[in-house]
Amino acid sequence: MKKTKHRVVLLSMIILIGGLILLLSPVGVSAHGVDIAAVPVKAVEVIALYDSGQPMAGGQVAIYAPDEPLEPWLTGTCDEEGRFIFRPDYSRPGLWEIQVRLAGHGDLIRFEVTAAEEAVADGPGGLSLLQKIVMALVVAWGAVGTAFYFSRRNS
Amino acid sequence: MHIPDGILPVSVALSGYAAAGGLTWLSLNRIKKKFKNPRELIPRASLLTAAFFVAALIHIPVPPTSVHLILSGLMGVILGWFAFPAILVGLFFQAVMFQHGGLTTMGINACLMGIPALLAGALFRTRRYFGVNNKVTNGLLAFLGSFLALVSGALAAALLLIYTITAQLDVAAERAAIITLAGAHLPVALLEGVFTALVVLFLLRVKPELLEMEEK
Repeated sequence: MKKTKHRVVLLSMIILIGGLILLLSPVGVSAHGVDIAAVPVKAVEVIALYDSGQPMAGGQVAIYAPDEPLEPWLTGTCDEEGRFIFRPDYSRPGLWEIQVRLAGHGDLIRFEVTAAEEAVADGPGGLSLLQKIVMALVVAWGAVGTAFYFSRRNS
Repeated sequence: MHIPDGILPVSVALSGYAAAGGLTWLSLNRIKKKFKNPRELIPRASLLTAAFFVAALIHIPVPPTSVHLILSGLMGVILGWFAFPAILVGLFFQAVMFQHGGLTTMGINACLMGIPALLAGALFRTRRYFGVNNKVTNGLLAFLGSFLALVSGALAAALLLIYTITAQLDVAAERAAIITLAGAHLPVALLEGVFTALVVLFLLRVKPELLEMEEK
């Protein structure tokens, strides 16, 4: 009876010490293992540029979901290249809005999230340099024409 | 200084339109009362409107940002009361053609550039007390008028933007960005001041009557 009691105590001590060794050893960390997965998702990339072509670095982005137009669904900041990437909530189809603002400059664009989990966004709407020059010349010529017209009437 | 659509509250945009409407009426009324034949001054106003329209497309890098020419001071100095309607027309074309500024904010933008332009014009007209052909006072008043027009306009725009920052923005970051942009207008104000002074001195030498307003 006494021998059996000694065996139980010895076994208990072995289990306790073994448990402590397992708990303190690096093997014990494996109980909180990390499982990282890289899964491609359909994201939307916002590219915010001034009309001069300069990126809106640090521009504040606010994304509005279709069913909540007053409160931003997500806010963030553009990187140095004026870019901001996010994944819209595809369970909320409709017309989403993206507003980018920096120092009183900014714009608002819309993109559509369809039921097929597609985001149809506006493309870059900037004008080329040639287009800008032609448009500026057209308006300037209008002003010059006005000047000629009133000069002629006066003479 | 060109505040785009969607930045300001509707009440501010409407107030801007009301103020711009009142100032346009005042300008046209003064033009009608003061000038024998206002049509004679339209070619000058028209050409400067073209200059104002094109100038906004010329960007000057002022790290960490870039600003563009405004020419509101030059408009005020050369055009006097014609400056406000001329700026209004220029702003309309800038908004419609290049989305520079906005149609809803056209009134407030006209006030931000037009009121300093009118004040610059009033300051320049004080040259009659110093002699209209005095090169030093002509140049100095043109420089000061143009410089102060741009500085005061940028300051007013910055204050307006700071007091209308919406809560969902990072207020501190937006305020810092606005102050940086307003500060970046200082070198442009100096540049425009010098340019206006040179234009005035040139006109004084070749065609001084262009600096005079033929009044009744």
